Amino acid sequence: MEHAILLLARPEAIPVNPIARWEWVFPVIETLHVLGFTLLVGTVVILDLRLLGWRLHKQPVSRVARDLSPWIWTGIIVQLITGPYLFSGDPFEYVQVTAFRVKMTLLLVALIFHFTAIRAATAPARDMQPLGWRRLAAVVSVGLWVSVVLGGMWIGNL
Amino acid sequence: MSLYHFCQWLSQTPLSIWLREAPYPFPVFLIAHILAIAVFGGMVAMGNLRVLGKALREVPVSEVIGQFRAWKWVGFAILLVSGLFVAMSDPMEYYDNIMFWISMGVLVLAGVNAAIFRYGIYRSVASWDTAAVAPPSARRWAGISIVLWIALILSGRATAFF
Repeated sequence: MEHAILLLARPEAIPVNPIARWEWVFPVIETLHVLGFTLLVGTVVILDLRLLGWRLHKQPVSRVARDLSPWIWTGIIVQLITGPYLFSGDPFEYVQVTAFRVKMTLLLVALIFHFTAIRAATAPARDMQPLGWRRLAAVVSVGLWVSVVLGGMWIGNL
Repeated sequence: MSLYHFCQWLSQTPLSIWLREAPYPFPVFLIAHILAIAVFGGMVAMGNLRVLGKALREVPVSEVIGQFRAWKWVGFAILLVSGLFVAMSDPMEYYDNIMFWISMGVLVLAGVNAAIFRYGIYRSVASWDTAAVAPPSARRWAGISIVLWIALILSGRATAFF
């Protein structure tokens, strides 16, 4: 209870969170966050290049999607651990920052797009069909994930 | 002329002063640097993971590595040029930054490692192209490559904190 009141009044006064306590924790977690987005965005871009028909065109779309899926998930999980932990260092500050709100919105849109449109576009049933609208989905996907990274850089003021 | 004097001279050149004092060049090059890591880093990772048999196992090794070679070179060029411009914005600062020199050392090692793979074991790729897992010597270079690229990202990021 005492902690709850402290959190409301002065979040940095909570002594139990290492990120608010030692200054080296933040750069370490942030660097892991950079490794995480390299894996996540890099893998999604490879899938999108396949959807555009620019790379790996000898492989069925669904195979590329299935093979990359564990690595996309690994990236998402790393980001969903390191991201909220960075946030926990100063939550009341972050929720007020425009850059943070914009990035979270973009992230939500990117994730929803990935698990709806991109999932549909990479379904095995579509492997024999022309790429058509799926090329557009790939372009939107790259755009969304690049803006998520830009939003992250904006939060940190570069 | 020592490296120290070279950096001193460099920091007084119009390009360095422009990078340091104009409001836009520095953030633009830094954004390009980080976006290039995000977009092209995954291609390096996937090439190595394919050799290790951890990703795209049904796709021939030469397809994963060959099809993305041009893209990786483009990404590397963007990284190199943007990184050079970021460093040139304040040569004296980076001259004194141990992390900057560590990252440059790791970069050289990553380049040497890639060359050893490319002009060594990779020349016989035809005989293990479709194997789900590459031969041990190829896996060794791929493993070292992943470690070096992670070290490069770590030391590159750390340069900004030192």
